[in-house]
Formats: sequence, structure tokens, C-alpha cells
Amino acid sequence: MMLSLPLLQAVADSAAYRDFPVIGSRAAVWIAAEIHLMFAAFVLGVPIFAVVAEAIGIFGKDPRYDRLSKEFTRLLLIAYSATAIWGAVFVFFLATLYQPLWAYLTAIFGPSMWVYVGIFFLESFTLYLYYYGWDRWKYGRAKLWHWGLGILLNVWGTTVMFIADSWLTYMMTPPRDITPETSPASIKIWHAILNHTWMPINIHRLIGNVVFGGAIVGAYASYRFLASTTDEERAHYDWMGYVGNFIAMSALIVLPFAGYWLGREIYQYDQSMGITMMGGFMSWLWVIQAFLIAVLFLAGNYYLWVGMGRIPGAERYRPYTKFLLIVLVLGALVWGTPHTMIADSRELAAMGGSHHPLLGALGVMSAKNTAVNLMILATFLSFLLYRRANIRQVVPWAQTGTRIQGAMFIIAAAIVLFFGIRGYFVEAIVRIGYSVYQVGAVLACIVFVTVIDILMARGAQSLGAIQWGKMPARSQYALFILAVTFTWLMGLMGFARSGIRQHWHVWQVMRDNTPYAATPALGYAAIMISTCVLIFLSLVGFIFWLGGLAEKSTFVPSTVEAPHVGH
Amino acid sequence: MWATNLRIFGVVLGTLALYTLIANKIPQVQSEVPKALALGANVTPEQLVSAGDQLFHGAGGCTACHGLGTRAPNLLTDEKGQGTIGARCGKREQGKDCKAYLYESLTNPRAYVVQGYEPIMPEMGRTLSPQQLWALVAFLESNGGTVDVTGSDIPAATAAPAAPAGGGAATAPGVAGIAGGSTDPMAIIRGAGCTACHTINGEGGKIGPDLSHVGSRLSQNLIRESILLPDAKTAKGFEKFKGVMPKTFGHQLTGEQLEALVQFLSSHK
Repeated sequence: MMLSLPLLQAVADSAAYRDFPVIGSRAAVWIAAEIHLMFAAFVLGVPIFAVVAEAIGIFGKDPRYDRLSKEFTRLLLIAYSATAIWGAVFVFFLATLYQPLWAYLTAIFGPSMWVYVGIFFLESFTLYLYYYGWDRWKYGRAKLWHWGLGILLNVWGTTVMFIADSWLTYMMTPPRDITPETSPASIKIWHAILNHTWMPINIHRLIGNVVFGGAIVGAYASYRFLASTTDEERAHYDWMGYVGNFIAMSALIVLPFAGYWLGREIYQYDQSMGITMMGGFMSWLWVIQAFLIAVLFLAGNYYLWVGMGRIPGAERYRPYTKFLLIVLVLGALVWGTPHTMIADSRELAAMGGSHHPLLGALGVMSAKNTAVNLMILATFLSFLLYRRANIRQVVPWAQTGTRIQGAMFIIAAAIVLFFGIRGYFVEAIVRIGYSVYQVGAVLACIVFVTVIDILMARGAQSLGAIQWGKMPARSQYALFILAVTFTWLMGLMGFARSGIRQHWHVWQVMRDNTPYAATPALGYAAIMISTCVLIFLSLVGFIFWLGGLAEKSTFVPSTVEAPHVGH
Repeated sequence: MWATNLRIFGVVLGTLALYTLIANKIPQVQSEVPKALALGANVTPEQLVSAGDQLFHGAGGCTACHGLGTRAPNLLTDEKGQGTIGARCGKREQGKDCKAYLYESLTNPRAYVVQGYEPIMPEMGRTLSPQQLWALVAFLESNGGTVDVTGSDIPAATAAPAAPAGGGAATAPGVAGIAGGSTDPMAIIRGAGCTACHTINGEGGKIGPDLSHVGSRLSQNLIRESILLPDAKTAKGFEKFKGVMPKTFGHQLTGEQLEALVQFLSSHK
């Protein structure tokens, strides 16, 4: 320790903060990091999407999915360049504006940064092989090898993300034996990587990237749909938009569970950090998050309900949508009810207590968990109705199966409500455990109902082909709203994750000594997030346009009916 | 197509504007950086109280829990009929005056966990300088009590944690060590607040392992290590409480106190 102090001081003396003209160094790094992350999510999420689509094309013998996959891989080529450029901007800003932090991080993580670069190199060339070899390795065993390249691309991409995650999670949750006096050179790299939040962030981001990739695919398809001049083209992009939305919404349902895990790890690491996040100056952030997720649920469901207009037989289920809408709106209102907000003694006295006398009961976790689980169930039911809209089951046990499915929904909802109400009468530590039962009931319902539905759909009688392309334009704007909201939400959650460090570069180990050390209020953060989203979406729009310019659309004229996903 | 493009642009811009507007309409709270205080020996009680007030309501982050009535005791308003913190702090621990009690509650909050609350408060000595801590003590005393913090309480030339590059957290206890430097093991155990979590001689909590027979489980070296580096090894069944035990005893205990404690615990077989 005696040796480490002079070393740290030497680092501090030789490295200094600098400022960036006009917008300041924090804003400069914020924009560079955020846009790099958005592109990174795009180039990590879309390959997952592409490789799954290619697999459906190969094993389902449906060339549409193969073409869809190729179309997106083409966009990836340009997006990779944008990711690398913004990554370089970010690193240069960090190295020149925040030298002390950069010196500290490189002292610990230097070797992993070299590995990162090496894998990024491999990832890029795997992508080139994957795309340019598409038509060469098109048939038979070669096609399987090509698909293997797609998997390899995802392996490289995921590894790169895991490495980068270790740096940022170390800043949030450095191992507890590391103190301000610990020399960074003495910290073992694996010890730093295996910190409290590394794996939860990895999993959360992995799922988040799939959601994001699906949403961007949906936005691309809707852009092309609106620009289409022929019915066939419109049908193709309508179908593509549906696939993108399906993937985004399916992964979104799983995302909160990964979020719970991350939140729990943050609390276990440092309760005060968790309280800052959920009940301190960031408490309002979760109200905004609830609003955004409500928009996602509503827009996603709206798209499905409008989409039922193009499915013969769907009119049977239309009367139910208003009840689903009521559940979603009520759930969103409860979820958006604030619980704890920072207030001084004067404000508390004016309120007559620590919580609102009426709404306070809805702002607690019991109510919120109940609301969100019921919203997930409602969304799943929407999808189920959409899925079976144009079929009539012919298996002899179809009626019994439907009743069992209905009972499963009722039981799941009852479990969610039971533990939600009971949560008001037990200790906090017991109440937290109840969320596991609620989530378990919902997941079990989703899994078992889906299995039953797949079995029931065997040999089902068709009530007519889905009329792809017969979608009103307003449904496509819902896909745009989804893409913008997903992107904005990503920026907001990034602010939450990074902001809970407050004025620490590395939590309670290395302080931020710049003039920008204070963590800004949500208003400022929202302006920054919107700026980043606008820059990102403008660049993505440009990439979409380039994609169309470089090559004509790859859609193939329809000869077979495009199936529902999962059929 | 231009009309479509404009409509798309309008939807994107409108959505962004809506979110930005909502985020700007809600209460705006910035997380401030605790300012380093330069309080000299001739600092007045008013200056201390004023500085403490700013910390309590701002950068100290105290209001995130205190005052809400659910996570931590109310300090500025009545707490279960016992009055405000300045009125009750001198009665909380026998033989401990208000000033010493408050300072220790800030630097070693697990020493006095109020019944009915979880031990969630962070050690404020990790993030605030001794000057800031004393300013907070003065402010809390001013709420219903008498401010008796003076310039002589504040250690001279103490660096605030806002030191460059790594900027360490200061660890100046300010008061005369744990249990006033006593080498009586039970006085140390009570003074250090061990019984808030551990049971020994039938006294104490269940958050940490029972120490009644610790000598039969751990060697003297392991007991010493567990006191100085509590997270180095975690007792089976207590993994979820890893990180709860303070890591500050190496600074707070004198060598004699540490050895007295180790001998005492190892004799409990």
C-alpha cells in the first residue's frame, strides 16, 4: 500500500482532464459512447436475427427467410463501419479528455483490450465471409457451413460485448477489496472482470440487443413498406415488419426478468447504490421508464390488433381486444405511479406523510410487479389470438385444449394477484421473494400454453391465407414509434446504469474530479438521449437508403404463403 | 415519397419531443458532488449547521432514506413519539453523548441499527470528509438539541475524499477510537457494534455468524483476518450478507484492541 500511493499520485500528476469546446467533455463522451453503443447493439442484435432467419430458411425450406437474412447482413456491413468509427471517437475522447480514468482502466484491463481488438478483427472478417460467401455457399453441405459462419459471427460479437461489459461493470461494482489506495497495476484482471454485475449486464444486453435488432428490422421494413410501389413488395415488407416486431416483443417479455437479476445484484453489492437507483434522485427515472414500456406494450399490441384485419377469421377475436386494452392501460397507470421521491422535510410536511395517502399504495413493488406481469400476460394473449386467427383446430381435443389454456391464464393471473395483495402484509424481504412466484407463474403459463397451442394447430384447417400487404399505413408508424422508443429506452437505462455511480468514475474507488462530476437531472439527460437517438436514427436512415441504393430489394415474388413465425 | 419521408420524420421527431418534454416536466434533481469544506478552528456553530444542512438535503443523499419513514428513522421530524434527532440522540446509548453517538452512527452505521430497520446505511466516512461529517453532526444536533460541535472537534488538515486520482476516502474517526481505546473485549464488541449482527454470550443479532463458539471453528489467524478483511472468506450460510460487515476495523482498532479481541474470541470454544 505504501508503494501504491506514490504510484497513484504519479498517475494523477502525469494525466490530466481536458475540456471539449462548446458542449464540454461530458457531453462529448456521452454522445460518442451512446451512439457507439446503439450501433453496437444493432450489429450484435441483427446477426442473431439473421442467423435465426437463415436457419428457418434452411430447415423450413423457405427461401424468403434466407433472403431476409441476406438483406440484413448487407446492412450490417455499413453498420459495422459506423460502429467502429464511433468506437474510435469514443476511445479518443476518453483518452484525451479523461486521461486519469483512461490510465487507470488501461492499467487493469490493458490485456483484455488487446484481445478485444483481435476478436473484433476476426468478427469483421467473419462477417465479410458470411456476406460475400452467401451466393457461393448456397446449397447442400456448403450452406450449413455458411450458417456455421453466422453462428461464429455471433460468438465473436458476444465475446467482444462480454469483454467491454467487464470494463463498465468494474466501474459500477469494483470488487469490495479494491480501495482508493489499491494500485491498479496490482489488481488481477480476472478478479476485476468477475465483478458483481458483469454477468447480469451480459445477459441483459444480450437479450436487449435481440429486442433492439428486431425493432430496427421492423422500422426498416415499415420504411420499405411505405415506399413500396407494388403489392408484392408491400406484402414482403409487411411480412418482414411482422417478423421484426414478433422478435422484438418476444424478447422484450423476457427482458424484465434479466433486469430484476441485475437490480438484485446491484442491491446485494451495495444497498445504498440500489436505493440511489430506485428511491434516490433517480426515482423519477422509473416513472419515465414505465411510461416508455407502456408505449411499447400499447404500440406492439396495437400493431397486432390492426394486423388481425388482414387475417380471415380474426373477426372472432376482435371483441376481446378492448378488454386487453383496459388491462394494458390500467397496468401502465399502476406501473407509472411513483413510490419514493426525494423530498425535503417541508415537502413531506406539505404532503402529510411520506407517501400520497391514496396513490402511495399503488406505487409499491407489490402493485407494480402485479401490473407488469398482467401486462405481459395480456400481450401474450394478444399474440395467441393473432396466431390462431385464421385457423380452426381439428384435433379431437381442441375444445378441451382451449379450456386448459384458458384455465392456465386464469391460474397465472390469480397467482400474480394473490402474491401482489399478500405482499402488502409481509416484510420487505419476504415480499421481494414473491416476485419470483409471480414471474414463474407467467413464464410457466407462456411455455405450457404455447406448447398446447402448437400441438393443437397440427393439421389445422385454414380459414384463408393472410393477406400480407393489406395493412393500413398507420400500423407502420406504430413500428417506427416502437423503434424510437426502444432506442430511447436504451439511452435512458444506460443513463441509469452509469448515473448510479454519481460522482465516481469507479464507485467509491476513483472520484470524478472534473467540473462535470455532478450527475445531471433527468431533463438534461433526456435532451442528451434525444440528441443521440436522433443522430443514430438519421445515420441508420442513411444506411437504409444506401442499402436500397447499392442493391435492389432482395424480396422474392410470392409463390407460397408466408407463414406465421413459429408455425 | 417525400410526403411519406416527412411523415416518418414527423413521427420520429414528435416521439422524441414528447419524451424529452415529459422528462423536463417532472421534478429536476441533480446529484451534487459533496463540496470539500474548509472549516477552520474558529468555525462558528451557525457555519457548521449551514454546511450540514446543505449536505443533508443535497450531496449527502440523506433524504433518500431519512424522512420517508420506511427505510430509515425520521431525523428532522418526530420518530415514533421520541422527537426529532437532536432531542433524542443523547438518550440512544448509555454513556454516549449526542455528538459521539451521531458521529459514530455516520462512520459506523451498523453499530446502532434502530429496531425495526435494516442495516442499509453506507459508511459515510467512505464518501464524506471528517469536516463534512462534523457539519452533519452539528446540523442534526440543531434539530431539537444543542449544537456542541466546535472547531476543536475537526481534525486539522484532513483531506476531503475529493483528492485527485483515486481520491481516497478519509478514515479519521475523530473520537477517541472504539470504546475509548478500552481493551475490554466486551466493551470493544459493544462499542464496535458487533452485536448488531453477531450473537455472543447470548446477546446480539443473527445477521452474521454466532460467535459464541467461534474459537472451535476458526484459528486465531482466521479470526484476525475476518475482523480486518471480513469479505476474504464468508461463513457458510451467510453468503448473501457478504459486504455487510465494515472493513474499517483495521483503522478503528488499536493493535492492542485487535489482539485482545482475537484472544477473547478464540477462547470461545
